[in-house]
Amino acid sequence: MREVTAEAKASLDITNDVCPITFVKTKLKLEELEPGEVLEVILKSGEPLANVPRSAKQEGHKILKVEQQGENFRLLIRKGE
Amino acid sequence: MSIDYAELKKGGFLKQKQSGNFIMRLRTVGGNLTAEQLAGVTELAKKYGRGYVHLTTRQGVEIPWVALENFDGIRNEMKKLNLLPGTCGPRIRTVVSCPGTDVCGFALMDSQRAAATLDEAFFGREVPIKTKIGVSGCPNSCSKPQENDIGFKGAVEPAFNPEVCTGCGLCARICPAKALRMVGDKPEIDRSKCIHEGNCVSSCPSDAWQAARRGFHLYVGGKIGRFPQLGVKIAEFVPEEELVETVEKVLAGFRVLARKGERIADVINRVGADVFRRTVFEQEEKTECAK
Repeated sequence: MREVTAEAKASLDITNDVCPITFVKTKLKLEELEPGEVLEVILKSGEPLANVPRSAKQEGHKILKVEQQGENFRLLIRKGE
Repeated sequence: MSIDYAELKKGGFLKQKQSGNFIMRLRTVGGNLTAEQLAGVTELAKKYGRGYVHLTTRQGVEIPWVALENFDGIRNEMKKLNLLPGTCGPRIRTVVSCPGTDVCGFALMDSQRAAATLDEAFFGREVPIKTKIGVSGCPNSCSKPQENDIGFKGAVEPAFNPEVCTGCGLCARICPAKALRMVGDKPEIDRSKCIHEGNCVSSCPSDAWQAARRGFHLYVGGKIGRFPQLGVKIAEFVPEEELVETVEKVLAGFRVLARKGERIADVINRVGADVFRRTVFEQEEKTECAK
């Protein structure tokens, strides 16, 4: 388990998951958080990167950061109201 | 007893290979049936058919094994159950559609409403040859609009606001057409590659990508059958309120160019998509001039 960064309340690694589990896990994790809190998600490029930010935005959350980490990507999602 | 098969087909009553047996084809719009309609279908299939239905590739429902003498009976009960007869022969067929904006996160245009509008305006209309219309809400084309004589595909044109862009590069990473690339810390778009799917618009964390306009791309000349081919795009961003008018223009242009027995695909193969497009969209002006 990697260490959660200071700005995120929780972290989730979905690099071993495929659609739709990628967003399902993200959604369930977000449900554990309070509005305004931040979730870090580590995901692969391609299909997860095309779908997870879009779905999060669609459900009213805010993508704060998208950054590359080696082969993977790191998202910071702030939970919406 | 003499049977007017042409008249029966008009109402979606198709002759089976077994003498005296018919298939009752029902009219569906955009592939949706209510639970009440389904219960009605169940009842009719049990009572008049053999207790099963066949789902067609065009989102239709067919009840096989209906005896000819039950034609009036099944039609009367269909009316009561709010089920409409389908059609076949040289007519405008069932309008197919994807589930659309009501339930799908990808849909850009309300394909269900578009299908209902087109069904209302065109279903069953007598035309020189069978003509199929299909609608999809986005370029994913789940309902295969390019396989129809006339197909509409929802589309969005992205517009970029550099002031709010954070330069995260997500849009360039996810663009399915590779129309976007990062130049420094800002994305650059190659409009010639853009397929108007709008992943940049729906994913952009800072809303730097916005929808400049939405509409339907128009494809004509798609067909399957023995010699399948996909429709070609002859117009972009047709507004929802111009769908009916646009189909009227396509049908009018087709009538001008078509030889006996040709579908739109055949006309396009003979005269080319450009001539077809010009005939469709300039016909009105020609008529005006003739006056």
